[in-house]
Amino acid sequence: MAKPPALLQLDHVSRRLSGREVLHDLSFSLQRDDVLGLLGVNGAGKSTTLAIVAGVLQPDAGTVRIDDRVVNDDLPTIRARIGWVPESVPLWPELTVSESLDACGRLRDLPNAVRKTACEREIARLELESVAHRLCGQLSLGQKRRVGLAQALLHEPDLLVLDEPGNGLDPVQTSQLRELIAGLSPKRGIILSSHELAEVEATCNRVVILHEGRMRHDAPLGASLDDRRGKLDAQFRAIAAQPAGVAA
Amino acid sequence: MSAFTIARIDLKRLAVRPFAWTLAGITLAMMAWQFLLGVSAFMHAQPTVPGPVMGPGFTDSVVAPYLLNYIQLCLVIAPLITMQALAGERGAQRLALLSASGASGAHIVLGKFIARLAFLWLLLVVVATLPLVLGGATHPDWGQFGAALLATALCVAALTAIGIACSAFTPEPALAATAALLIGEALSLIDAGVRITGGGGGWLGYLALHTHLAPAMRGLVRSEDIVYFVLIVALALALAIRRVAAERERG
Repeated sequence: MAKPPALLQLDHVSRRLSGREVLHDLSFSLQRDDVLGLLGVNGAGKSTTLAIVAGVLQPDAGTVRIDDRVVNDDLPTIRARIGWVPESVPLWPELTVSESLDACGRLRDLPNAVRKTACEREIARLELESVAHRLCGQLSLGQKRRVGLAQALLHEPDLLVLDEPGNGLDPVQTSQLRELIAGLSPKRGIILSSHELAEVEATCNRVVILHEGRMRHDAPLGASLDDRRGKLDAQFRAIAAQPAGVAA
Repeated sequence: MSAFTIARIDLKRLAVRPFAWTLAGITLAMMAWQFLLGVSAFMHAQPTVPGPVMGPGFTDSVVAPYLLNYIQLCLVIAPLITMQALAGERGAQRLALLSASGASGAHIVLGKFIARLAFLWLLLVVVATLPLVLGGATHPDWGQFGAALLATALCVAALTAIGIACSAFTPEPALAATAALLIGEALSLIDAGVRITGGGGGWLGYLALHTHLAPAMRGLVRSEDIVYFVLIVALALALAIRRVAAERERG
């Protein structure tokens, strides 16, 4: 039986920003049901990779495919299958949470009835009922992250792209986020970036380690948490300690 | 998704911003004061001017200068209301959010333009009601009034488009406002020297806003003036669309 195409496939992707090569010849794939953690120190190229996957940035070289369709060739259709939450969550501070979700639904061209149902569903899923009528500008960081996630999930994307989702969250919110990601993953592929080893270990079944825009490690994580603990930490520290230009 | 979806979101945001209300309040207060001064000056001068057939009437003496004053105010208001449109959104990742939601560069730019233009045209409607309420007490030249209003609306659209283009090309809102203000003032004053010396306009004259406003303020609607304003809008928006569409490549 033929192997189904990967949900996400990056082939030899490179990208320069402000004259600096931020990504170099990056290739990896993501299957449906995968939760892939992009790990790397600050400036490793994680956010650039995710922006390229989300279709917000264009690679200088290489291709990004979603279900074997090249992102650049059919951007509007592909974007409809992706939910993206960047590191600083983009919200309209002058709108309430429910207005903001409704606006995102309109941007996604969801019909009225579908949009209303989707907004209610995400408000319930992200436990935003108590702040639904509060202005986005008045929310705490954790609440803003949840609203960002609700915006990204509104159109039921196949691929969820989360940039540093755990940044600034307290332990309770971090635990809730992990439960949420675990609940979302069976239906879709999730790719998230982090520089927190614990976060990746707890939420992902695969890890890609980036260092200075190059992929240094791509492997599934051990089945049990005990297997994972320690190994990843050692690998990450060894890679992060490598000087510039050292090949994997 | 259409540009109107983005315009709707932006109008909603403008409607709850104290900045927009303050700007509207100050503008309307200044315009009301200008109108009262104009009417007062007209009433004082009326016994001295020639009869109704030869002399300047209410529309010439009050309405046309009044609408020109609104354009002068818009040289400042339009940059202020457009400066955040794209420059501010880019920094807050909201431009990327719109792109990731499937909005094209044209949708984003047109949506932002429509929202700001709707705000300034709404102000123009309120501004225009002041001379309208005096319509029962005097005999305005409705044709001239309509021509002046049309030219004002088109000029405001041109200034808004310039503001949007500046906002697309600059990273900082303050820089966008400054650039739009300078371009607007340049278009307003470019032929001032020639006008003072009474010389012919030439191409400098064609570029000047005054050249295309003056006939309409006298009641003359010329297609070349309409084309001038439409060209400015089209050029500014096309440049802005190109810049926003290139965001994916530029990063």
